[in-house]
Amino acid sequence: MGDTISFPHLDYAALWPMLILFGAACVGVLVEAFVPKAWRNTVQLVLSLLAMGAALVMVIKRAAAGVTAANAHTASDAISIDKAGLFLQGALLVLGIVSLLLIGERTLETGGPFVAQAAITVGSEADRRQAARESGATEVYPLALFALAGMLLFVTANDLLVMFVALEVFSLPLYLLCALARRKRLLSQEAAVKYFLLGAFASAFFLFGVAMVYGFANAVDFNSIHANISTSDKPFALLLIGLAMLAIGLLFKVAAVPFHVWTPDVYQGAPTPVTAFMAACTKAAAFGGLARVLYVGFDRSNWNFTPVLGVIAVLTMLVGAVLAVTQTDLKRLLAYSSVANAGYLLVGVLGGGAAGLSSMLFYLVAYGFAIIAAFALLTLVRDADGEATHLSRWAGLGRRSPFFASVFTFLLLAFAGLPLTSGFTAKFAVFGAAIGGGQTWLVLFGVLSSIILAFPYLRVIVMMWLSEPGDTTPSVSIPGALTSAALMVGVLVTLLLGVAPSSLLDLANNAASFVR
Amino acid sequence: MTLATEVLAAAGQVGTGEKVVFFILAPLAVVGALGMVIARNAVHSALWLVLTMLSLGVFYIVQTGPFIGMVQIIVYTGAIMMLFLFVLMLVGRDASDSVIETLRGQKVAAIILGVGLAGLLGFGVYEATRGIVPVGLEGANAAGNVQGIAKLLFTKYVWVFEVTSALLITAAVGAMLLAHRERAAGERVGQVAMMKDRFRPGNYPGPKPGPGVFANSTSVATPAKLPDGTPAERSISPILPTRELTAAEIANKPTEGK
Repeated sequence: MGDTISFPHLDYAALWPMLILFGAACVGVLVEAFVPKAWRNTVQLVLSLLAMGAALVMVIKRAAAGVTAANAHTASDAISIDKAGLFLQGALLVLGIVSLLLIGERTLETGGPFVAQAAITVGSEADRRQAARESGATEVYPLALFALAGMLLFVTANDLLVMFVALEVFSLPLYLLCALARRKRLLSQEAAVKYFLLGAFASAFFLFGVAMVYGFANAVDFNSIHANISTSDKPFALLLIGLAMLAIGLLFKVAAVPFHVWTPDVYQGAPTPVTAFMAACTKAAAFGGLARVLYVGFDRSNWNFTPVLGVIAVLTMLVGAVLAVTQTDLKRLLAYSSVANAGYLLVGVLGGGAAGLSSMLFYLVAYGFAIIAAFALLTLVRDADGEATHLSRWAGLGRRSPFFASVFTFLLLAFAGLPLTSGFTAKFAVFGAAIGGGQTWLVLFGVLSSIILAFPYLRVIVMMWLSEPGDTTPSVSIPGALTSAALMVGVLVTLLLGVAPSSLLDLANNAASFVR
Repeated sequence: MTLATEVLAAAGQVGTGEKVVFFILAPLAVVGALGMVIARNAVHSALWLVLTMLSLGVFYIVQTGPFIGMVQIIVYTGAIMMLFLFVLMLVGRDASDSVIETLRGQKVAAIILGVGLAGLLGFGVYEATRGIVPVGLEGANAAGNVQGIAKLLFTKYVWVFEVTSALLITAAVGAMLLAHRERAAGERVGQVAMMKDRFRPGNYPGPKPGPGVFANSTSVATPAKLPDGTPAERSISPILPTRELTAAEIANKPTEGK
């Protein structure tokens, strides 16, 4: 055993954000053990917010110090914290902070949106007691921190194995968080089991794909895959099978058709703050990973996967839009709309080049803020049984509380992509990138599905404003400070990115480069 | 170490012994996997899975991965599966799955599509790997199998190796969150208190009548009848929904010696 091994150089300046989040999550687990119950929620919330804020500061510091090709890679090239990676990390942290505000809300109902003890049998006497009185489980904070840390690693993984571990690290806490709703617990548990089982299948596909790619390229890191794609003497079919299976794993996470079937059930069953977190952050992380795989690892395969992914993008946009029309539950409606939005994002990714990448980055941020604000509003409209998400219950809401109905109308118009909202700018950027990349057919389908998708949004708006409020129309609760903050940030950013998008567009354009 | 060296020496070409091992164990592994899915009983499922895992362990060893093979057998088959079986036995294994299809024809469609996908992938991989000579096993094992793995774990993958600890913490926290029930101070009742409660005035200390006793029905939702023919509400569990009784069920059972 003659050769000695030397420990690789770890660039701690680049790894600090992840270290802080993992560390804070571990401290959070200890808080559960040692801090008295009455204090736990406050301590956990402050700890999580501080950790995310500190991680964000570290990301900004590193971005300000400048990222070059020389200092992007660390840990023996297993991790690549380049400009796009840093942008995604920053975006994930900001979106994570805003959704954490929703997770921390405790004033809307006694004990907050999470169940106190998930082990108590649903519907039993003890369950009714805990739903009425006990404060929600505070383990959700460390779990959210673990998920976010996994996402930060996922978007900067420079190696398929690292990517796989990161995928598991951010998925596992999400499966758990889905099962912890205070109301409609059976639905919530069903959502968690579905998400877990299907997610496990998707992970298995991903791993199988890694094996195939290794068989072709004799390596699992993106640099070697890139280098070996044109020189390998193995049959190209191996690479294609591998890429297809990798894509299945990743497209499952972004909820692209036909791997979207979990989305409506999970979005509906999960506690609404967790749904917001998943819709904003999981989508951003999964698209970041997908873009890195396609742009860094498989760039030299001449993008001959474009037609296949293009068909998936078209299916995603059309199926998402058409099924959104038929929904009668607002959470499911937003879930299908998020499926359709995954299609628009795919269009941007397939646009290729720096334009495609920057449009995707911009879209992720714009969509993330809007969807968090929309779900924040959903948590406010409630009756005695919790949130009233059925569409018919929202009829006449505009007469009863015009302010919140106006805000929701604005958000729906942003999803529909009307000018002066971030939705317009984002869609414009994505479609522009696709036309620039010679994928005009995708844009045609994109515009078509946008028109279809405008219908369910407009139907909600018409219902809110033009119907008479009935006896069963729920009231809009006065949001607590945390929800107000999340809602305000989400709406302001949606407006700002519609009116003056240039600063974020510049940021995205500057960040739109992966270091190989 | 002798096993490892023998195995390492065989790297490069597929020997007859390896072929024999493969063609005996591969069908067994597939049978085990199918058995795990098809078996109704959870314990049987677990035992089928053990068969598959053992076969896989042998495959790893044959393919010059003695470390991963041994880990597969010792850790997965030996430790994890046995723990799993213990838990199944302790919790009780009387629950069997409902086999009612909620979506019509779903099972048939799933089987057809699954076999189709397996055929597509199997054929694709077979075509793609035909005639390829395996290389690189000697290089990977040059300094020893365990040493090679250690080198990768502590150099290139050191960060991600540390990160896997997050997975373990998440799993532990999650298991506790979903399964642990904290009992409040007043909720746990001691034996003396239970006994006093049972014999306090006004309480009937004997066992409750079973449901359906002296009634013309065996349903647990039918109340038992007291000797005077009135229903005994105490005999039904409070969590059961109230059941509409038919005239035949309300009628008294002819027990007067007819």
